[in-house]
Amino acid sequence: MSPLDFAVLFGTLLAIAAYGIWKTRGSRDLEGYFRGDHAMKWGTIGLSVMATQASAITFLSTPGLGYEQGMQFVQNYLGLPIALVIVSALFIPMYYRLRVYTAYEYLERRFDLKTRQLGAFLFLIQRGLSAGITIYAPSIIVSTLLGWSLDSTILLVGVLAVAYTVSGGTRAVSLTQKYQLAVIWAGMFTAFFLIVREVTGRLSFAQALAVAGKMGRLEVINPSLDFSTRYTLWSGMLGGLFLALSYFGTDQSQVQRYITGRSVTESRLGLMFNAVLKVPMQFFILFVGVMVFMFYQFVEPPMLFKQSAVRVVQESPRAPEMKRLEARYSAAFREKLDGVNALAAALDTDDAGAVAAARDRVRGLQEQAESIRTEAKNLVVSVDPDMEVKDSDYVFLTFILNHLPKGVIGLLIAVIFSAAMSSVASELNALGSTTSVDVYRRLIRPRESERHYVIASRVLTACWGGAIIGFALFAYMVENLIEAVNILGSLFYGTILGIFLTAFLLKRVGGSAVFLGAVMAEGTVIVLFFTTDIGYLWYNLIGCALVMVLGSVLQAVLPGGGGALKNPVATGAGPG
Amino acid sequence: MTEDRPPFFRTWTGVYALVLGFLGFLILAFYLFTRHYR
Repeated sequence: MSPLDFAVLFGTLLAIAAYGIWKTRGSRDLEGYFRGDHAMKWGTIGLSVMATQASAITFLSTPGLGYEQGMQFVQNYLGLPIALVIVSALFIPMYYRLRVYTAYEYLERRFDLKTRQLGAFLFLIQRGLSAGITIYAPSIIVSTLLGWSLDSTILLVGVLAVAYTVSGGTRAVSLTQKYQLAVIWAGMFTAFFLIVREVTGRLSFAQALAVAGKMGRLEVINPSLDFSTRYTLWSGMLGGLFLALSYFGTDQSQVQRYITGRSVTESRLGLMFNAVLKVPMQFFILFVGVMVFMFYQFVEPPMLFKQSAVRVVQESPRAPEMKRLEARYSAAFREKLDGVNALAAALDTDDAGAVAAARDRVRGLQEQAESIRTEAKNLVVSVDPDMEVKDSDYVFLTFILNHLPKGVIGLLIAVIFSAAMSSVASELNALGSTTSVDVYRRLIRPRESERHYVIASRVLTACWGGAIIGFALFAYMVENLIEAVNILGSLFYGTILGIFLTAFLLKRVGGSAVFLGAVMAEGTVIVLFFTTDIGYLWYNLIGCALVMVLGSVLQAVLPGGGGALKNPVATGAGPG
Repeated sequence: MTEDRPPFFRTWTGVYALVLGFLGFLILAFYLFTRHYR
């Protein structure tokens, strides 16, 4: 990176953090600190919800997926707009009516204290772990490629995000997210423009699309009913719906973004903004990856994008084997380049037979190149069995560092750090509010002044910040931690969603019934996880359905009907 | 809390129908895109 890149990167990150701290200084009550004085307009809410969901990994992994597999991943988001409509219609009016600070506060109004604590506990475990990964995952990639110290990278992202989140609370998070998102989109559109310019120097845009299509990178919709296929229209619509419903409706890091609205209307419009834009946004990010794929049809890519994995072999006695693989890979690339040019020429002739022949040749050569990559990965693992060789997350950043001009590189690294900070700030804000409101104020010190609670909230948020940074610093000790945390999330999300949907939809079910149902459902999900091979996304659906069914059954069979109906307003049955 | 009315359409049902209609349009567009470039 050049001095200009460093200036762009640090100037951007420091300016946004400093502006957030300065602009939102001096919150004196919890209303201001955790709900932003209910002053947010729909645009701020919409951008804040979007920035919270779009973490750094979104901008590193998604183009990598586009490069490696094409556009099919976008199907995972097709259930999201439906989920946001449900949250808008069902969840938002209830949260506003009861004037809650956290989603779990609602559970006590509707059921009882133990159900609230269960919901808050499940959230704190899951989000506390995943927030560490939100910092660690991009830091390990950026530090590996730039040669920076991993600890310094984690500290840079973590300390800045903790500073403005502790200082300004919810308002600081929402305000900084607006500018972070502006940086993110400026960077992504600049990158897209530059990639397309590089590609169209070799083929027309229409030819590039046609070739990418023939190479299997432009298949967006797969209507297959095969459950073993990872991304299909149906798994996206159904699994994606439940995942998004749980995330947007019951995860405090999102709930806290939209309960800051000045009215129900502003909050709803903020969510509808995301319902309309999220799917096209994911399409665009994947498409950037497809264009990087097309670029690397004409410029030879590294055999493995994770160069640290290659170095492991180069520094071992088996270095000559890696050299031979690299020579074979270069030869395969040159042959494929001929094939791609022949395919583009055949597409111009409209000769179906020639196109099919050229397409089959290119696909065969692509498979040959992939098989050499697999051999190289196996070689790395044979030298260092602990080395992670999956390299799709490194594709986009490798392209940025090797092929974009000075200044733009700094901007794109700022995109990744901005995305990390915007997500982790929301998570931190939510962890602070849940610990402060659902635990400290409710159980430990219930009758203190507003000033006391604001100070306590700042201290608790700072403590979570320290814990998250500490977790990120030690995350390298468990190589498969990222997947483990994703699985952990899916194991808990279904149960939490089930509790909330029972609260909204099954108005006769009381606190004890839903609490026991949730504990039994969570136990069943964990047993299924250890004894079956069900894909972990399905646990969102299974956990949710189990809570609702078991809650209803227990309500009918428990003595006293499983707990009295707590609050008619909280069921939506009363006047609001 | 101010009055809960959408700034366009008379009811939120209309807004939701528009959003879900847009989703339907996107799925159809993606399907045609897939077929065209397959």
